[in-house]
Amino acid sequence: MAVITAPAPVKAEAGVSSKTNRKLRDNLTGHAFLIGAVVCFGVFMWFPMIRGIVMSFQRTRRGVTSWVGWDNYLRIVEDPSFWVAWKNTFYFTGLALVVGFAVPFFVAILLNEFRHAKGYLRVLVYLPVMLPPASALYLFKYYAYDPSEAGLFNAVLKFLHLPTSEWMQSPTMTMPAMVLASTWMNMGGAVLIYLAALQGIPGDLYEAAELDGAGLWKRIWHVTIPQTRLILALLAMMQIVATMQLFIEPLILANGAGTQDSATSVAYLIYQHGFFQNDLNGAAALGVIMLLVLAAFSAVYLRLSTRDDS
Amino acid sequence: MSTRTLVSSTQLKKGRAVYWTLLALVVSVFTLVFIGPLYWMVTGALKTAQEVAQTPPTLFPQDPRLSNYVDAWMQLDLAKLLFNTFYYAAGAVVFQLVFDTAAAYALSKLRPALGNVILGAMLATLMIPAMVLIVPQYQTVINLPVLNISLLDSPFAIWLPMVANAFNIFLLKRFFDSIPEELMQAAFIDGASPLRTLWSIILPMSRPILGVVAIFAVTAVWKDFLWPLLVMPHPDTRTVSVGIYSFAAGTPQNIVIAASVIAALPTVIIFLIFQRNIMSGLTTGSLKG
Amino acid sequence: MSVPQYRKVAALALVAGLGLSLTACSTKGDDDGGTDAAGKVTITVDCQPVAAQKELLQNWNADVTEFQKQNPDIVIKSISVGQQCNNPPDFTARLAGGTTTDVFYGYMTDLQQVLDSGQALDITPYVSKDTIATWDSVDPALKEVFTDGGKLYGVPVKNYSMGLVYNKVLFQKAGLDVNNPPKTWPEVREAAKKITAADSSVAGYAEYSAGNTGGWHFTSLLYSQGGRVLSEDGKKAAFNTPEGKQVLQNLKDMRYGDNSMGSRQLLQWGDLLTNAAAGKVGMFIGAPDTTQAIVSQFKGKFEDWAVAPLPGQTDLAKGTLGGGEGYFFKKDLTPEQVKAGLKWVAYQKLTPGKGQLDYVRAKPQNYPVGLPQPLLFANGTEAQKQEFDLRKANANVPVENFALFEAKQLPIVGEPRDAQAIYAVLDSAMSGVLTDPNANVDALLKTAEEKVNQLLAAGS
Repeated sequence: MAVITAPAPVKAEAGVSSKTNRKLRDNLTGHAFLIGAVVCFGVFMWFPMIRGIVMSFQRTRRGVTSWVGWDNYLRIVEDPSFWVAWKNTFYFTGLALVVGFAVPFFVAILLNEFRHAKGYLRVLVYLPVMLPPASALYLFKYYAYDPSEAGLFNAVLKFLHLPTSEWMQSPTMTMPAMVLASTWMNMGGAVLIYLAALQGIPGDLYEAAELDGAGLWKRIWHVTIPQTRLILALLAMMQIVATMQLFIEPLILANGAGTQDSATSVAYLIYQHGFFQNDLNGAAALGVIMLLVLAAFSAVYLRLSTRDDS
Repeated sequence: MSTRTLVSSTQLKKGRAVYWTLLALVVSVFTLVFIGPLYWMVTGALKTAQEVAQTPPTLFPQDPRLSNYVDAWMQLDLAKLLFNTFYYAAGAVVFQLVFDTAAAYALSKLRPALGNVILGAMLATLMIPAMVLIVPQYQTVINLPVLNISLLDSPFAIWLPMVANAFNIFLLKRFFDSIPEELMQAAFIDGASPLRTLWSIILPMSRPILGVVAIFAVTAVWKDFLWPLLVMPHPDTRTVSVGIYSFAAGTPQNIVIAASVIAALPTVIIFLIFQRNIMSGLTTGSLKG
Repeated sequence: MSVPQYRKVAALALVAGLGLSLTACSTKGDDDGGTDAAGKVTITVDCQPVAAQKELLQNWNADVTEFQKQNPDIVIKSISVGQQCNNPPDFTARLAGGTTTDVFYGYMTDLQQVLDSGQALDITPYVSKDTIATWDSVDPALKEVFTDGGKLYGVPVKNYSMGLVYNKVLFQKAGLDVNNPPKTWPEVREAAKKITAADSSVAGYAEYSAGNTGGWHFTSLLYSQGGRVLSEDGKKAAFNTPEGKQVLQNLKDMRYGDNSMGSRQLLQWGDLLTNAAAGKVGMFIGAPDTTQAIVSQFKGKFEDWAVAPLPGQTDLAKGTLGGGEGYFFKKDLTPEQVKAGLKWVAYQKLTPGKGQLDYVRAKPQNYPVGLPQPLLFANGTEAQKQEFDLRKANANVPVENFALFEAKQLPIVGEPRDAQAIYAVLDSAMSGVLTDPNANVDALLKTAEEKVNQLLAAGS
């Protein structure tokens, strides 16, 4: 799209003095251009980062803030819901990775092969992304996951003579049901990015693979996946960070904790502590723990993916 | 456009029957999976509560009535909620485009001292999920450092934090990096100021990426939930998602669903009208970025 | 789109955006100071009814007009904060953010949180017969609830205790005697069975199990059995007892033994009331004012509803959960503002015949009058008598609907400390017994007990 129409002729004879001049000027104006974004980053990212760590070692009671050492962390870790929330969050992240990662990739591969109806299919997949999340989730909550046989899913299952489910009221189905809803409403974005990546694969690679006698699966395995590995890795990382913050799905679909705490997520726990239990400091501590877990995870991930490269 | 993909054209011609069967299958499955629930939602809100609770459910509303939609519109004050959401989204686009483009331009072309350090510090925030910062960010918004003012219920509580978006700056910077330095040189020798260069050379060439950033900004505001729930506590300032959530606990199911449909309509319609531009923008944008 | 055109659009968008944000700026921050040049005192007050509660909102606005006429030097600015005056996340957010109104609404159990936020003013020096005419008649037990360390922080405006709320129409349909509602849990079970048998789409008895409301009702059910959530010293869980087990066993029997609680569970506050208003709930436990909510917010009919005393296991309940609401005052108010605020609260909430106690006005409205509440005044006081007579004279609900409840005053027990955190734990026991046919009552209670003990040990 962005085709440079008339590349301006390069004037190579630009003098040395004008170059240093430009450097100085660029330096000043450069910072002037940066200032808006830097202030916003400072106020809403960097400062809160430090503040969160500071807060996690303090406790505010009766308007008076005092240092309490590791008390907040102890309280949070000893909170009976702490481990449950982590277990649930990892479970969701894992399941969402398997489903929400593999499904869009294969959908993209499929769509990329079609010579017809491609636009239509692409629009379909992206449509749910356009819904406000609350809209989509109430649809699932009230209609799809209705535990009686009047529910959409149960009606379909019954029609097919399959066993019905209580969905969000069943501790074992809660997570899969949330992953399903979440994937439905979010996968459009991933599909589009994969499609773009797939279109970037040079055709002669497939040609060559075919000449070597590689079948369909072999071509996917040896051409498609390696060629899109970078974008796959990036998206996997982004998706993990996103799913670790699981919040609105349990809040709406499961009214918070779900049946027997089967939906409690770490993010929901942060919310509970901060805004129900009058414990903002504990919530800050839980935030720091979440950050550490993610940092450790990213370190391992980076290590693994760079090792692959060498 | 696309030349050779996984399956070659000759192969396709041979397996024509397979191709068409597969296509028909995929089209019908996808329609069912993605339109089906939406159909269910739109028609469900036309049914009475009794009909919704019926087993087995009815495929078409027996006695379609619009009253649920009317009630939803009135009771939830959806006009206000939708206006708020659009207003926040529009503001977010403006703020992001202005500040993030300026920053990316500075980092890509002007390269001021410490620029790389700043870029690094910005990119580092990519790894920090929003949830981690929710409490301290909230504490910051209710009492801004130095200024000592509260941004609660003010649209700036949504706009300003959205400027701090490392992903957008990264996208924009990479795009600007691909614009040849010679163009900058030429403009400089012609005596153009950096602002002028940005305005008349860089921006016109960057329309696709600007479009992508704008779409991201709109979807981010549209999809965000917890942050507006916290910083917009007043019913008059709520976004549509938060508004529906706040009222759902005291509103009959059918009306909640009707409200959900109405809330979804504007973006869905805009998307369907501009889908060609949005799709190609997203695809090329993310590819270039 | 050619370049110049594109530029024009961008410029336009920029101008429009900036213009909008400027107007947004200018609408903020004009409510400081409190007293203006003309000597008028302005106070902001929350919990104005929402637009959906048409008559209540009209009444409130009429009260404001009348009050300002009587007190020309006071300006009341009302703010409506949503369906629930005190929605915990919003409330906490406003407290932490210091964006509460000058005079702000809270539950009795909010006192600690309000004090922790440092937002509350000690109003002891201001409250007397001079500012609130009926103050000496207000139940001392209620004043105590808003007192900490000998200092008063809030004015009680409502007080309730829970009973058994039941739908008379459904009772009749099931062949039950509306004047003889169940007195014990086994009787509730029998009645629920019959109600569901008469109409399978109805839950004979409905109960919460999500959003911390499950724990709240577990507490009330436990009190009815004579149990307590915490030990005397508040340091240990005390609900893993035969009484606690009985609570869960009763629910389990109804849910899975008789299938009389409906298939939709994980209900929280509004879910249950919405179903009740739609005529899909035979019985539930609640305060008499839930029938008001059913009418004003959930569009039900108040004639259909009656309230009986809370049942117990062998006889009526041994105790029932009580609670209530009050108004707090923001810490940086001027003495004039505090006095103005007290005057307003006194007028709108604590004067028989005015405001919320204006039964003459409420009678013709679609709003129940005659409920045995708000129980603000101590027995035998002048105000109590006045209020009682007015209420009786203007009752528009059949008095007998609430006669049983009123005739039998059960001992009232307050909520435990750290209520929300404990309720969150108990939700899980409630959802367990209501969604799992094979739930083990003993195991659920034991887990909950361990969790609460951990929580108490860590929280102090």
